[in-house]
Amino acid sequence: MAREIYAYRCQKCDTMHYPFRMVCKNCKQNDFFEFDTVPLPKDGKLLTFTRVYNLPAQYEVATLGLGIVELDNGLRMLGQLEIDEPRAGMAVKGNVEVVRKETYEDFYGMVFRGA
Amino acid sequence: MRDVYVAGIGITTFTRLEFALSEIASYASMMALKDAGITEVDQVYVANMGAPRVNHQTALASAVVDSLSLTPAGAAAIENGPASGGSAIKAGFQAVASGMDDVVLVAGVERMREVNGLEATDFVATLTHPIAEYIYGVTLPAHAAMFTRLYMDKYGVTERHLAMVGVKNQNAALANEWAHLQQEISLEGILDSPEAMTNNPYVAEPLRFFDACPVSDGGAAIILVSEDKAKELGRPMIKISGVGQATDTHAVHEREEPTDLLAVRKAAADAFEMAGLTPDDVDVAELHDAFTILEIVESEEVGFFPKGEGHLALERGDTALGGKIPINVGGGLKGRGHPVGATGVAQAWEIVTQLRGDGGDRQVEDASVGFTCNFGGFGNNVVCLTFEKEA
Repeated sequence: MAREIYAYRCQKCDTMHYPFRMVCKNCKQNDFFEFDTVPLPKDGKLLTFTRVYNLPAQYEVATLGLGIVELDNGLRMLGQLEIDEPRAGMAVKGNVEVVRKETYEDFYGMVFRGA
Repeated sequence: MRDVYVAGIGITTFTRLEFALSEIASYASMMALKDAGITEVDQVYVANMGAPRVNHQTALASAVVDSLSLTPAGAAAIENGPASGGSAIKAGFQAVASGMDDVVLVAGVERMREVNGLEATDFVATLTHPIAEYIYGVTLPAHAAMFTRLYMDKYGVTERHLAMVGVKNQNAALANEWAHLQQEISLEGILDSPEAMTNNPYVAEPLRFFDACPVSDGGAAIILVSEDKAKELGRPMIKISGVGQATDTHAVHEREEPTDLLAVRKAAADAFEMAGLTPDDVDVAELHDAFTILEIVESEEVGFFPKGEGHLALERGDTALGGKIPINVGGGLKGRGHPVGATGVAQAWEIVTQLRGDGGDRQVEDASVGFTCNFGGFGNNVVCLTFEKEA
């Protein structure tokens, strides 16, 4: 089964959040994890991007593409980019992959490529 | 609420320092205590972000208060990311304003060069959202770069504007003997010449090496006192007249308008309202230029210039020494350096220096109202202060 990253929909007012938060930022009424999980859409358009040359110690690559994507349901998320020449507004498609490796654990996140 | 005055200031050189973390804090504090003419305080706040992680030291305030032989004064460390300094000043302000304490030492300190650059970058990146940002390899330069691209598209800011901020602030640091960078730079060298890409490579496109502040060690300290105590000590009467602090979403992508820095806007508005001042009243300002773009954007958000026109003000020379509102005349974070926990206190140190008229070659003429903006996270925790000289 394909891995997913989830958005959180408030059961009281339907507001969607990503990432998870303890209290709904719209109604502020939900008390104990009153959210439904909804898989984030994979399609969206690139809002802004960068290529980073000074990476934190754990990365064994020379540079890393990063961007913020506006997903088809209106939520935004940050992800890694596997795009040679990114352009603002371009259509992208995400896939959940390993984005960070540490000694005892792999971390999964969204990697976007041109759609 | 009682009025609060700054009766003493101290600072260390910002550079790579081969001293223990608590010693760096203590050197700056000793200068501040001496400046104020006191040997006892009621309370000590130590602003610091990285001691537990970078320097393998916890409970830093207990070490500093004892090193200075200020025991049994109360002491606490304040960790609030890059806004630790401003937050510690706010805590000290509240202690004096409430009447609980008459004399408070606020010291800020960081020793980031104890680890290599990759580890320092990772340490600062731990302030980002753990799941939605940090795991992707996001760094603060990456956040600033993505923000810059939006600003370029929306408002017409160019790499030249960014370089102009860098040249202005790094060269301003030449008049500040405590500043980290003591090397003159030019637009020719970092932008226009054939060697520019070698001299000034990308750190995170479109931001280059000279768009980012250096990684520095250093400490700064100020003494906050009540009005009675200030009069007794007889130092110049510099009042902290406004304090504002505001927060914004932890994950940067959640902000409704991604080119707004709402925490800066609110913290500044609150500080001005408390002081009964407007941005037009400010004679000299310290903005948090960890990246060149931030000086431009903060100059708009705090109200010096309309939104989207900060780069035009820069072009006109409004933000240079001698301009309408000189910004970062001591070099800013870009030139003075950015030991993260010390920065908010160092900004106050510069403003008090200016309001006392002790700025030397970088003195802003007749400065009587000063302003600081200490920017934490990527704009998710901001402290703004106003300072006024009383006759």
